[in-house]
Amino acid sequence: MRSVKSLATAAEAGRHQREWFADLRARVAAGEPFALLNADVPHEIFRTMDIPYAVSQWWASLVTAKQRSGHYLGLVRQRGYPDYSEQYNSVTLGSAFDPEPEAGPWGGLPRPDIIVGDASGDVTRKIFDIWGQEPGVTFYPLESGAENEVPANWWELMPHRWEEAVGPARLDLLTAELENLVRFLETTTGRRFSESRFREVMALVNEQEEWNRKTRDLIARTRPAPLSVVDSIPSVMLPQWHRGTEWARDLARRFYEEVRDRVDAGHAACPGERARLMWIGRGLWYDMGFYQRFQEEYGAVFVWSMYLAIAADGYVRYGDDPMRALAARFAAFSDQLYTPPWSSEWYVKEARLHGIDGVVHLVSDDPRGSYFTARALESAGFPVIEIHADNVDTRTFDDDITGRVGRWLEDVVLPRRASSGSPSA
Amino acid sequence: MPVELLTAAGARAFRLTGDPDAGSGTGDRYLGLGVDPAARSVLTRLLAGSYGHLDRVVVSHDCEASLRLFYALRELRRVEPGTALPEAYLVDLLHLPHRTTARYNRRRIGEFAARLEAWTGRPLDLPRAVAAHDERRRLLAAAAELRRAVPARLTGRQFLAVLNAPLPVDEHVALLRRLLDEADRLQEHPGRRVFLSGSDHDTPHVYEAVESEGYVIVGEDHSFGDLSVTDPIGTGGPGASGLGTGSLGAGLDVLAEHYHRSGPTAHRATAGERAAHAAAAVKRCRAELFVAYSRAGDEAPAWDFPAQRAALDVPAVLLERQEYGRADLTALKDLTCAV
Repeated sequence: MRSVKSLATAAEAGRHQREWFADLRARVAAGEPFALLNADVPHEIFRTMDIPYAVSQWWASLVTAKQRSGHYLGLVRQRGYPDYSEQYNSVTLGSAFDPEPEAGPWGGLPRPDIIVGDASGDVTRKIFDIWGQEPGVTFYPLESGAENEVPANWWELMPHRWEEAVGPARLDLLTAELENLVRFLETTTGRRFSESRFREVMALVNEQEEWNRKTRDLIARTRPAPLSVVDSIPSVMLPQWHRGTEWARDLARRFYEEVRDRVDAGHAACPGERARLMWIGRGLWYDMGFYQRFQEEYGAVFVWSMYLAIAADGYVRYGDDPMRALAARFAAFSDQLYTPPWSSEWYVKEARLHGIDGVVHLVSDDPRGSYFTARALESAGFPVIEIHADNVDTRTFDDDITGRVGRWLEDVVLPRRASSGSPSA
Repeated sequence: MPVELLTAAGARAFRLTGDPDAGSGTGDRYLGLGVDPAARSVLTRLLAGSYGHLDRVVVSHDCEASLRLFYALRELRRVEPGTALPEAYLVDLLHLPHRTTARYNRRRIGEFAARLEAWTGRPLDLPRAVAAHDERRRLLAAAAELRRAVPARLTGRQFLAVLNAPLPVDEHVALLRRLLDEADRLQEHPGRRVFLSGSDHDTPHVYEAVESEGYVIVGEDHSFGDLSVTDPIGTGGPGASGLGTGSLGAGLDVLAEHYHRSGPTAHRATAGERAAHAAAAVKRCRAELFVAYSRAGDEAPAWDFPAQRAALDVPAVLLERQEYGRADLTALKDLTCAV
């Protein structure tokens, strides 16, 4: 079953993405530099310097939605590399090995001149470094540091007190790496870095994410839910990859206004809503219809995914030093989602905010601290079901997962909701 | 892990190892099946008290599994204090070959030194500790030559035991001297010479499995093996003269640079770096076969293999998705028959 999107902003974001990618391909064909960036690195520098870029995870999600991830994993395997390891990045690497790149989605991913990724985990750096061995490609890795002691309430500290949340050691490191990155890009592309333009970009990003915060808060307090994650994911994530532009800021505002209008009109994503669900984990790109599969039969609607919530809480950084503020956005970004106590406490906060009745937790083989997430939610009274699969590798998705979730809804979530006597507060 | 600092603090330190023959259910539960099973086994043993009384657990950022182990220990103490785990401390040394990383590492080394002084209440005696560990390095380098001899005078299994004896450095040095004094009486081991690449081996299980088939492991590139046999810190290296000044800061500078250069392990080096190292190490060991071993949950070595194979002039085979402490040698035997 294909997902059915209903928001005008989701449709507009999809249309814009196609036009943007066609324009990007034309710019690259005309000789402009092209960067491939991992999701959790500072795109803002490339935005400031007007260097065309695409996001690795976005490309992987597109390939997967087109049911082509198996093709690219096969290309990785043909080169002798494992096709069962960190597929979210290796699917994109497969593009580099494609003998017919133009046969890829939307005309194919152009060959990048520069790749930027962080050296998290054991494999990410290897994957992009292997790509960096291809002719004309340079891989620029960024470190991924860790801290001994961190305050748990990062979402309260990050907008203004990020120095306290992240700690000076990691901020000094990433700030220095980014200053070096600017110099590297100035040298290799001939483009200039304008400090005033950088401040504009940073201000636009904060504005965009503040709109996302309003949207998140509105959805959280509205019963029944005005939309499901099938609409919110494209409406927040496609602009996210264009953050720092007026288009993205304005789309985030229109997304809020469209949700507000739905709320005012009493529109429900799932009329007769009986349960509000939280999806923890990356998007299930090969089967977005999954998120709507439980609405008709069970009245269960996925109201939460990390994509809008992390846009609301994870990006906003204010401060007089824009480079250090940018470092603060990314020096501990993945900790917000995957490292306890930050991740576990935040998911509980969000579950309470949204009045969640049940949590579906996608657990992949990447080490992600899933036990502590589930434990924190269950300790706070939220039922959790874990499903084990990779979000881009269809081979890992068990046919019975839908049935398991359905039975869990029947046996656990709906009876609890019924016994509580009223919609979750 | 800058063990010199632990010695300088007067701490008795030993490296935690897992046990493939025991269950790892609790570690599996807390860390998840995507983490290297060696770390899951270590956590299981920590929770079971298998290591006896520990005052602290110090974890390095040498691989993702170690980092995840640290996070689990930190979080378990916070949310399940009944587990009675010792306090965990992360020494966050990073590995990109750049000055920005070197400066970060120097800061972290300084923080660790300060924390050790706070724990013990006394200043660190770093020059003496470095001298003791350097003496061990010199002796271990000599032991490594015994294994590299043709025929080998130590098996891989024996060398692993020699290298990783869980002893205070002074006791270890004394035993190494005895071993080297008796080197002429060591048995010769004439089997097919294998270089073992890839995952860490914190136990002898895989070495025993390989060598029971008539091979001798004469070199490896993991952190429990040859990669931990480094040049001495106190002589010859960059800034080594600073150690003689007695300044703790100068000593920490030298330590930070030494550990920044460590490796190249599968978890922190690029495939190209690993391939160049493999080519040189195989020649140095006069290995006849190259075996890359990648444990399920420890996939980094599998990414190195294509570049390694291309860089080698000996037959190479990849054993991938292996169980902890086990080795399916079918591919190695097939390769041996083919050559």
